[in-house]
Amino acid sequence: MNCDEVKRSLQDYVTRELAPEDRRVFDAHLVECGECQRELALMTAVVSTLDHQPVLEPRPGFSEKVMRSLPRQRVFLLSPWWSLVLAPLLAGLVWLFRGQAARVLEAALSRSGLSQVTVPTLSLQQAGIAGLAVVLVGLAVAVGAGAYAWQVYLRD
Amino acid sequence: MSRYMESVSEQVLVSRSARGDEQAFGVLVERYKGMLYSMSRRLMKDPGRAEDAAQESFIKAWAALPGFKGESKFSSWLYRICYNTCISELRKRKPEVELDEAMGVPVEGPVQEFRNRDIQATIQEEVSKLPDDYRAALTLYHFNGLSYEEIAKLTRKPMGTVKAHIHRARAALKTRLLERVGWDNLKEVMWQ
Repeated sequence: MNCDEVKRSLQDYVTRELAPEDRRVFDAHLVECGECQRELALMTAVVSTLDHQPVLEPRPGFSEKVMRSLPRQRVFLLSPWWSLVLAPLLAGLVWLFRGQAARVLEAALSRSGLSQVTVPTLSLQQAGIAGLAVVLVGLAVAVGAGAYAWQVYLRD
Repeated sequence: MSRYMESVSEQVLVSRSARGDEQAFGVLVERYKGMLYSMSRRLMKDPGRAEDAAQESFIKAWAALPGFKGESKFSSWLYRICYNTCISELRKRKPEVELDEAMGVPVEGPVQEFRNRDIQATIQEEVSKLPDDYRAALTLYHFNGLSYEEIAKLTRKPMGTVKAHIHRARAALKTRLLERVGWDNLKEVMWQ
């Protein structure tokens, strides 16, 4: 092993990643080369300092600050599966309150001048309620998908 | 915080935290706040920004815990969140620079009086001048104790790039140490 080869293997030697056979050749060169001994001493100082960096502590009160900042509804909001429960629930609620929803819809349509519009096989009110249910279910699924994408981003 | 909670295993704490147990998560915060703050401090340099990044990392971890499958170590998962938080914050504020540019011009000549702790301080100071990617790889390898493979996975960079960053960073630090301290001073301090 010459000086150039030793310099190329220097870091692996210091971090003990050099194969045993190469290590023996490296050691043999070191015994007779002052320049490579100097290189080794310098690299050892660098690696040793990097290996022994102290753990730094944040200011007092850090943990309390973190705990105060935690969003309280995390499990509910960020689980993508809740949308599977919420979607039929929302659709059910729309069906349950279809009478009230129909009256609100009718009032809105007559204000906008669209009350004469008819939809084949469905009354306008039924179509409106179905549309509302689709929008709500879509919203629930979209939020669930967003939560899932966020989890994939941070996933192990 | 109860003594019982402090003695509970990490796996149990993680699982309870995933189900929304704030007390369990509080224990994890206590256990990892030093590591996460040290890591973000070394990446961000500024203590205030480092503390904000560490806090944000814990909040993100809390939010994402239900999706943690335990396929990697909890610590590696937490480091990844912290790394992503710090790097995205750093990239918002300044453009990336090359290693030679970041390390600046060589100093005039070695100082006269030197002690062992000055060698460490000099190296730490030079580490803070490294480009973000180099400093991050060096911190994850030497401080967090991750392997090249783990760093490559965490930073989403090829393993060869990670290894090259670490090797080039160490070589640059060695050169700057010699320039700033001088071999005669170093020899005296290291071999006294």
